[in-house]
Amino acid sequence: MRLFLSGLRKLVRRQATWVTFGLLAGLLALIVVAVGATANRPGASSAERAAALSLVTFPGAYDAILSFILGLGGLFAVIYGAAVAGSEWTFGTLKNAVARGESRSRYTLLSFASIAVVIAVGLVAAFAIGVVAALVGANMAGTSTAGLTDAATLGRLPDQFARGWLAIIEEGALGFAIATLARSQLAGIGAGIGLYFGETFAGIFLPDIVKYLPFNVATASVATGAATGGGFGGGARIASVDANTAIVLVVLWLIGALAVAALFTERAEISG
Amino acid sequence: MTGTDGLALAIRGLRKSYGSQVALAGLDLSVPKGTVYGFLGPNGAGKTTTMRLLTGLIHPDAGSIELLGRPFGRRDRHRLFEVGALIESPAFYPFLSGRQNLRELAATGALVAPGRIEELLELTGLRDRAGDKVSTYSLGMKQRLGIAAALLSDPTLLLLDEPANGLDPAGMVAMRETLRHLAAIGKTVFVSSHLLGEMQQMADIVGIIAAGRLVREGPIQQLLNSEGTVRVRVAPDEVARATAALGAFGGPGGVTSSVAEPGWISVRATSDRAGEINRALAGAGIWATGLESGNDLEMLFLGLTGGEPVQGGEGTFFGMAGAGPGPNARGTGSVA
Repeated sequence: MRLFLSGLRKLVRRQATWVTFGLLAGLLALIVVAVGATANRPGASSAERAAALSLVTFPGAYDAILSFILGLGGLFAVIYGAAVAGSEWTFGTLKNAVARGESRSRYTLLSFASIAVVIAVGLVAAFAIGVVAALVGANMAGTSTAGLTDAATLGRLPDQFARGWLAIIEEGALGFAIATLARSQLAGIGAGIGLYFGETFAGIFLPDIVKYLPFNVATASVATGAATGGGFGGGARIASVDANTAIVLVVLWLIGALAVAALFTERAEISG
Repeated sequence: MTGTDGLALAIRGLRKSYGSQVALAGLDLSVPKGTVYGFLGPNGAGKTTTMRLLTGLIHPDAGSIELLGRPFGRRDRHRLFEVGALIESPAFYPFLSGRQNLRELAATGALVAPGRIEELLELTGLRDRAGDKVSTYSLGMKQRLGIAAALLSDPTLLLLDEPANGLDPAGMVAMRETLRHLAAIGKTVFVSSHLLGEMQQMADIVGIIAAGRLVREGPIQQLLNSEGTVRVRVAPDEVARATAALGAFGGPGGVTSSVAEPGWISVRATSDRAGEINRALAGAGIWATGLESGNDLEMLFLGLTGGEPVQGGEGTFFGMAGAGPGPNARGTGSVA
């Protein structure tokens, strides 16, 4: 427990945590407010106006906000996971823990557990900021906020959050594992981003294979109801695996990534 | 009784290679409990590799390690709960303060007593800067924090790799006193260093390694008494003749002339032979203008390691291999 809490304290004090969260929440708020402010601009067609208003009109705004967070958040999670895992090698701090007799795999897995908790908090906080921004945008656009308390949508949110959280931590785990294998923060971040976009690119040529790959199953797992990770902010992904199969695959990728990270750390020769 | 009774650390036949490069070629060490053990060797001799092996950061190809009387292998990480270590340069989270770094490190491995962190910050003279981020620390301050980190769990065995790096003279004195105090209360301190003078003042026992093997080990006074140095000064143009005349005293490689101090010749010989050396010079028609005899760890070290780089190592210890003991070589005994 002390190791897990230590992991949380380190993450809270880490600049990368606040920069990543700030970028995500800031972009979300900026876009939603800007859309609200310009929805009724002179010269906008009715289709453009309807599309803009859909982002700030509840209950649909809930799905749009979540979609944005899960889409962009996936990329940020890869970078964040890689930054945290890679820094243990880059700073040389893993060496200190091992030399004190700490279990390597326990240290690795509990480090990730604290990342998972921080991501959960970040997900909820970003969503709350997004909702407030959508209310501001709705006000600027002169749209009713009556759908804010729509029971059906609110009832669906916990399930969407749970799926979204799993999807994002799976993506974070990939970055974490890549940086562990690379033993470097920078190499981990670079390789993680490359894999993220590389998978999208490969999907053009090998859709039947790529649909089972980690970022695609993460997107597919949250594509329930009106919320789709591949829409607002998520980039164009193929999502042909059904959501329930996708969530199983997400869990498998998550376990696989963590197992690779733990096993590699357990067997690695630590120097430098 | 076994051969390792009374030892805090026993290494037998330890071997480690990195690819084709052999770092340790069958190292044996015996570190008695309650002593300060100086671990010496030129760059690339295998000191840091040994330290990494002792802390489980890497694993040996062959050989055995006993920590505090019990075998230490891949599955024996709990042995390290009684060990404190500072390996290579101290590593910390730059975005955390010194105090926070110690607190987070205390969350790993053995439990740390309440109040221990403040006690160590006081001991290492870091209390005033303990709240500042480590990224603002000087090398010496990081080194002090590294020593504090090594002492976190009040270890029975302390492994320190070049702990004096970056310390100012006052810091070095304080560190020496701290380590001597730890040995006095029964702890064992295993310390590697390039600062031979420092080691001569601090260590009870030294082990000297070269090319991954132990070349000499024993109580420091015993080694120095058995392998002293006599330095003579002659006219610079007579150095070659004097070196030839003294060849019989030092044995192969035992007579060296100093490049930095022209005219000075060092002879590997115990101090009671200073008179004979002087007489030999006079017999060759050479008059010594200075003569010093004494026991010097640096000379012993250079004599045993050749003062030359290990193949594939990081370079020569003095950057003038084969050219004598270098500018720092100096007899420490009385002037005859």
